[in-house]
Amino acid sequence: MDEEYDAIVLGTGLKECIISGMLSVSGKKVLHVDRNKYYGGESASICPLEELFTKFGANAPDESYGRGRDWNVDLIPKFLMANGSLVKLLIHTGVTRYLEFKSVEGSYVFKGGKIAKVPVDQKEALASDLMGMFEKRRFRNFLTYVQDFMQDDPKTWKDFDPTTQNMTALYEKFGLDKNTQDFTGHALALYRDDDYLNRPALDTITRIKLYSDSLAKYGKSPYLYPMYGLGELPQGFARLSAIYGGTYMLDKPIDEIVLGEGGRAVGVRSGNEIAKCKQIYCDPTYVPDRVRKKGKVIRCICLLDHPISNTKDALSTQIIIPQKQVGRNSDIYVSLVSHTHQVAAKGWFIGMVSTTVETDNPENEIKPGLDLLGPVRQKFVSVSDYYEPIDDGLQSQIFISQSYDATSHFESTCLDVLDIFKRGTGEEFDFSKIKRDLDLEEQ
Amino acid sequence: MEHTEPHSTEPEMANRQGAAQRPNGAQGKICQFKLVLLGESAVGKSSLVLRFVKGQFHEYQESTIGAAFLTQTVCLDDTTVKFEIWDTAGQERYHSLAPMYYRGAQAAIVVYDITNQDTFGRAKTWVKELQRQASPTIVIALAGNKQDLANKRMVEYEEAQTYAEENGLLFMETSAKTALNVNDIFLAIAKKLPKYDQNQGQSGQGQGRRLAEGDQGAKTPGNCCK
Repeated sequence: MDEEYDAIVLGTGLKECIISGMLSVSGKKVLHVDRNKYYGGESASICPLEELFTKFGANAPDESYGRGRDWNVDLIPKFLMANGSLVKLLIHTGVTRYLEFKSVEGSYVFKGGKIAKVPVDQKEALASDLMGMFEKRRFRNFLTYVQDFMQDDPKTWKDFDPTTQNMTALYEKFGLDKNTQDFTGHALALYRDDDYLNRPALDTITRIKLYSDSLAKYGKSPYLYPMYGLGELPQGFARLSAIYGGTYMLDKPIDEIVLGEGGRAVGVRSGNEIAKCKQIYCDPTYVPDRVRKKGKVIRCICLLDHPISNTKDALSTQIIIPQKQVGRNSDIYVSLVSHTHQVAAKGWFIGMVSTTVETDNPENEIKPGLDLLGPVRQKFVSVSDYYEPIDDGLQSQIFISQSYDATSHFESTCLDVLDIFKRGTGEEFDFSKIKRDLDLEEQ
Repeated sequence: MEHTEPHSTEPEMANRQGAAQRPNGAQGKICQFKLVLLGESAVGKSSLVLRFVKGQFHEYQESTIGAAFLTQTVCLDDTTVKFEIWDTAGQERYHSLAPMYYRGAQAAIVVYDITNQDTFGRAKTWVKELQRQASPTIVIALAGNKQDLANKRMVEYEEAQTYAEENGLLFMETSAKTALNVNDIFLAIAKKLPKYDQNQGQSGQGQGRRLAEGDQGAKTPGNCCK
């Protein structure tokens, strides 16, 4: 450990592993350390099942749960958008070679006490029971507009300026009612609240296009999920970093960040060893005095021995409960994965309900989501603080990621990573740096 | 006749269940297997792979080979066995190999250096680790590498052979430098692996799909990850 590195990365959560990979690929000498003896930190998938029960202080699972080793339970539920930034990062970096994915079977939205399939194309819009007949036509026209929309071709904007006019104005242009606005903004554009209505429409249009482009990729839903759980993602990026020379140490407690002149980080100390470096990249848990609380997220892991009702027995699904449907300010997300993803023993399902905490009784807040799941065999609830760094890290050269938010996908994760990389290195990540070496294996 | 084919492999397939061409054009079974290398640093893991895949040997091989994994095919009668070979990328050094490394591995070569008794002791630990972490049906081969340095031998052939027999491992002494037994050990593994035809839609992996750029659910030849 007593060496000098360009960068030391602390924590092996997904964000830190992506950053580590990007730094190594860019030719930096990287030391990547985790205090835990496993990869993934908060983004690990817990295996075996016994460990999950222990973690939450529950009695050991009985034999009906099958082999504990067959379980890989995520602590933070998310899906990948098939055409989203994380998939692009995976493909460009070649990390996709270490992973296998399955399409999530269904995407649903909650309306008037029950769930309905999210309509995404003209055909589905016309068949959907979310809207009346005339509304269906208006929604179809809106979808056509979004699909034909091209940001660099103002002709496709059709007398509407999405860079200045807000989303409410666009909804009004097509005469969409509040209900349709609700599932469009929350189940297609995937906003957690209604702030987007007053912002320029361009971002919403882009998000809806991402949803439909993602859907076009693999079919049934716009979402992908990796075999063996989300914990495979940080491991894949860690391997990328290692292949480009990154050094890995697990089970290594960090006792101190060593500061030099002007409060700049110059190394980290573990016991009597000091590793020197020019920069540090880490998650909030390694620097509690350099982050502030921004809010709380509640996540509830539910082990089920049945699929969710009214989803055609889907082995994986996502259900979005838009805030207004249940009188809230932020949406509730319900996700389901199962034995088909090698994350549960045969016949078992893992449901997750999560949302941003708004009251003093967060468990009560997720009740609408839990009700959709039906009988739950075992429930584990966690309420986590959500942290963000107090500064941009330029002075201290300590670049800190934000905690994982309540969003149902990885788009904000990637934005944070790309932003940290840019702050840390002063440049955008150059994807072309990877190609040459990837060609090697195909000689 | 059995022989290894040092030809280049086709571009990575977008979907594991795609069809591949046999070198001689005949229609036979094609099986793909994930093979992982284990062993202490500097016992010659990467050198064995480079010898097998490219027929090369470098006296001062760098400690990582800078590739996600290498592929090489072996032909056995009517079956083409394609190995997807994973190197540790140095993650073994501080015992930081990820579970992903073992995931879905159908074969493993545990390497030690015959001139270094410690590496043989560590090899036994790796075998235990495989028995704990990997699939119960994994085929494990033990390779006593650096056989060209037999005059500095510290691990007796018989000792390793006995250990291998007791634990149901294939065993050979190899030399990446002289190529001794390098092809043979991969071939012996290929023979021992269960062959089912990939075209029948079976695979030892998790039955998911890999992603590739421009992937529309169909294979896009030569357009992967570029």
